[in-house]
Amino acid sequence: MTINTQKIEKTLGGLKFAVILLILFALLMIVGTFCESYYGTDFANRVIYKTWFFMLLQFGMFISIIFAAFLRLPPKKRLYGFYTIHAGLILIGMGSFMTYYAGVDGSIVLPPNSPSREVILSDDIIKMRFENDGRVVTYKLPYTSFGTDIDEEYEDIKLRRYLPFADKKFKWLEAKESYPNTEPIHSTQYFLKNAFVTQDLTLSLHPEAIDFESNATLGPLTVHYLPSSLAKCFAKDNPSKLILWDKQEESCFTPEEKEISIQKTKEGNRFLVYQKENIYFSFFPDMSPWPLDEKMQVIRGGSLRIFSKKLFEDSPNLFLFGTATSWFDKDEGTWNYQNFATGKKEDKTVILPWMGLEVTMLDHKERKVPGLVPTEVLPIQKNNEMIKGQTRALELEVQNKKYWVTNDTPVQLLIDGRKVVFYLEKESLTLPFEFVLTKFKMEKDPGTNRPASYESFVRLFTSEGTQNHHIYMNNPLKHMGFTFYQASYSQDRQGNYISTLSVNVDPGRPFKYAGSLMLVFGSMWHYFLNYRKRKKKNITPLVPGVEDDIQKA
Amino acid sequence: MKNRMTLFVTLFLTLQSSLILLAPSAYAEIEQTYFCDDKLGDTPIRQGGRVKPLYVHAVDMMKYLTGKKGYENLSAVQTYCLLSLKGMSLKSDIKLAARVDHVEAQEYFDLPEGQKTILFDDLIERIRDLQIETRRIKEETAYKKAMTKLLNQTGLYQEIIQGNNWLLPAVTGNRTDWIPITSFLREDKILEAKANQAQSPFQKVIFDEVERFDKITDAPYHLEYKYAKARLPIIAMMITFLALITLTIFKKFTATLILAGITIALQLALITIRVLISGRAPITNMYETVMFSGFGALFLSMLIGHFKKEKAFIYVGLMFNACTLMMMNFATGMLSDAISPLVPVLRDNFWLSTHVTTIILSYGALALSWIMANTVLIKSSFGKLTKADEVYYSDLIYTILKYGTIMLGAGIILGGVWADYSWGRFWGWDPKKTWSLIAFVIYMAILHGRYTNWIPNSRFIPLVAGAFMSIMMAWFGVNYILASGLHSYGFSEGGAIFLGSFFLAQTLIIIITTLKSNLSKTVVQAHE
Repeated sequence: MTINTQKIEKTLGGLKFAVILLILFALLMIVGTFCESYYGTDFANRVIYKTWFFMLLQFGMFISIIFAAFLRLPPKKRLYGFYTIHAGLILIGMGSFMTYYAGVDGSIVLPPNSPSREVILSDDIIKMRFENDGRVVTYKLPYTSFGTDIDEEYEDIKLRRYLPFADKKFKWLEAKESYPNTEPIHSTQYFLKNAFVTQDLTLSLHPEAIDFESNATLGPLTVHYLPSSLAKCFAKDNPSKLILWDKQEESCFTPEEKEISIQKTKEGNRFLVYQKENIYFSFFPDMSPWPLDEKMQVIRGGSLRIFSKKLFEDSPNLFLFGTATSWFDKDEGTWNYQNFATGKKEDKTVILPWMGLEVTMLDHKERKVPGLVPTEVLPIQKNNEMIKGQTRALELEVQNKKYWVTNDTPVQLLIDGRKVVFYLEKESLTLPFEFVLTKFKMEKDPGTNRPASYESFVRLFTSEGTQNHHIYMNNPLKHMGFTFYQASYSQDRQGNYISTLSVNVDPGRPFKYAGSLMLVFGSMWHYFLNYRKRKKKNITPLVPGVEDDIQKA
Repeated sequence: MKNRMTLFVTLFLTLQSSLILLAPSAYAEIEQTYFCDDKLGDTPIRQGGRVKPLYVHAVDMMKYLTGKKGYENLSAVQTYCLLSLKGMSLKSDIKLAARVDHVEAQEYFDLPEGQKTILFDDLIERIRDLQIETRRIKEETAYKKAMTKLLNQTGLYQEIIQGNNWLLPAVTGNRTDWIPITSFLREDKILEAKANQAQSPFQKVIFDEVERFDKITDAPYHLEYKYAKARLPIIAMMITFLALITLTIFKKFTATLILAGITIALQLALITIRVLISGRAPITNMYETVMFSGFGALFLSMLIGHFKKEKAFIYVGLMFNACTLMMMNFATGMLSDAISPLVPVLRDNFWLSTHVTTIILSYGALALSWIMANTVLIKSSFGKLTKADEVYYSDLIYTILKYGTIMLGAGIILGGVWADYSWGRFWGWDPKKTWSLIAFVIYMAILHGRYTNWIPNSRFIPLVAGAFMSIMMAWFGVNYILASGLHSYGFSEGGAIFLGSFFLAQTLIIIITTLKSNLSKTVVQAHE
């Protein structure tokens, strides 16, 4: 038995074991740096540096260091430096473990003048908020580098699959709910291009198409996506340029068709009166799409509305009705109409009168839902920024229907009449005190836009009152064991600066510092104790000109 | 054999560098130069976030635009000045051309076979098409990079010929505004200077303002002008070569020592002046780290050599210093000697300076072991080394390795201290830190193996020679190959090729010498 333990001790403290571990350690780090360079910091951490086997390897080295020292006891003077080195390494290892186990490493984002106490950490979580009783349930997602199946359930909610790196890919999906046949829920994909820009544009009227809208602005151009039932009225070149639309019946007509006379008020505003089911609706088409009732009150949200093409003649407006399009040509002074779906190939593309812009219809679906579905990818990082795989996504299953929650789009569901909101976010920590950014100062290198320094002026609200502090590069704020460093900044839409501070608690710090000192001075001591003077006799000089004088003599 | 080779290489390099110094420029005839002469080189300009002499800026611009320092018979300052005057409708015949090295770009411009340049005036005409073409390429390819560079160059050229790039000081009281030459040379000022019978009224206007500026500024641009003109790196390189020749051919050790001392003094001056100009530690970009490591290695080698009473050290130190000086002088595409403002996190930081200085010194020390190991390898394969020699020299290598590795370890730790001090994280797995740790781990493995006699000398020496590749990876590879992470300084072209060739050459040396020395070993054994 004793022989056996000795043998184990010898192996663990032996040089072969140490060198094998060191080589493995170096190899994994080499792979890690290349991973980092291609796939980004987060991926490298998830696939190498923060995995159990890399940790195990470090633990193995820790063991090897301990046993190597243990085997060389009782103390010999020659080895004093050696003991110091190894004790230092052990201290560094312990300090690192304490940092890993009990430390905090996160960041806090401070928009100007709004208090904050949330520190964002690195783990991904899913947060479910039950709106009826205000309950919040969180679940920590696995720290993996590839898509991982999860088998977790909370009430009726099943967590299915987590993708740490995904891109949203376009897909046509089946609708989850059913809709009456008359309801316009179509969607179309177009492709717009001119000499300067090319753009894919997906427009949808489907209520489930949360990723797509029914209008778009492209520079000076406004694109309107309207129900296809309106297209036939746009095709009519009626002189009044007015179109009435009955949403309830999904039909449209022109005043000319129904022989409604268009009159003018004293001020010269056009108006018309339309009778439907014995109710009179008065329209002022150049002022509002909504009709007035008999008491001259505006009826909003009713099924009737009017559309005056005249209002859309001044600036570039493109009307798309799925398989048809209409626009006003200012130079010609005419309204144009074209059907994409004639079956002829040349009709698929329309050349518009604005800077050579062309629009092509790519695909049209009457009932399907266009969606961006998270798909697992290998991430790519360029110049410190993720350019692929920025999306984190979790698949949920509720009542046999599947939903994707991503870090940029929370999902809201009605489960048995209760509203539940799902957020995919980073784990956070609430500080015991509150923070507010009162001023952010940035200096630039003279004559350039490059920042030379950035500084945050913050106010702390603690139980003892408020304190003002100035945080800048190399001047962190220490408070209640937390250390706040100026990390970076960003700008909001109004151009206000938002400051990001990194927040840190490191209980292992003293150990790491002490260990480092012991390591460096131990090495010097070791070589000092083991200094031997070598005699130089009959040595061939390495290059001519460096022969020893004694030798020459 | 080795001696003759050293001689040949050294002679060749000396000749080459002297040719570069002495080569007269090919004369052509740009005669109309207005007031643009080299005296203007010592006037201040504010560009790139700091005040510098026009000479430095003009050379940078010319190098960026054309890859050359001048145009025909004109100096950089003259060319820059004449181009800027185009913005004031003063015509000149300068036709500057950009280099088009990428094959696809050459095809795009329909360049005739063998022509690798395109006139900037042509580029300006085609700028719209160029923009569209560049935007069309979605992937980050080398072609896109080449086209983007051409676009940037054209933009800069346009800025220069519109007179907007040459900013001159306009002093009012204690305040200085920087205004373009076109608005600086106002007619009334010129006429006033003319009335005062100035020989060159334009120059008088400029120099009068510079005089006013000098009274209120402490920007050391005059010093920088003298520094740039002195071309210390070339002189230091020649003296290093001279020292190597004196040592290996004339075998005059004392003379070598004196020359090495002069080199050290010159490099110290070089470093000091750069510190005075930039106001910070001289270790914040690739150029400066190379400069500092060469200096540090030579200094260390003289120190160790003195105490160890071993003259071979000075040879090793001079050799590495020569390598670094050659890089500084010839690899200008990879190592830019421009002084530019630092990113905020690198400013005013005691720990950063200590950390980088220690790391760079350790690179220098380990480079000494690398040169010595390679010399021993080559000598044992192509010359003759006895068993005693092998033991003696591996002891020497071991000595340097100890110093180098301790410094590397201390440097890594200091890096941790700096990171902890700057953003509260002692260690993060960013590639620069990780690669220094990889190098450290490799050297630790070698040291342990050697200490316990696990690694015999015949393996120790090639291992040390090869281990330096990890240092090169940490030093250059992270920036030129991995090019990501926190240490974003020093990204430039040609670095990857340089490193690739280095790795290939080092591996070849190890393979060839291993094959050779295996033979010699069997002979030795047969003797025994």
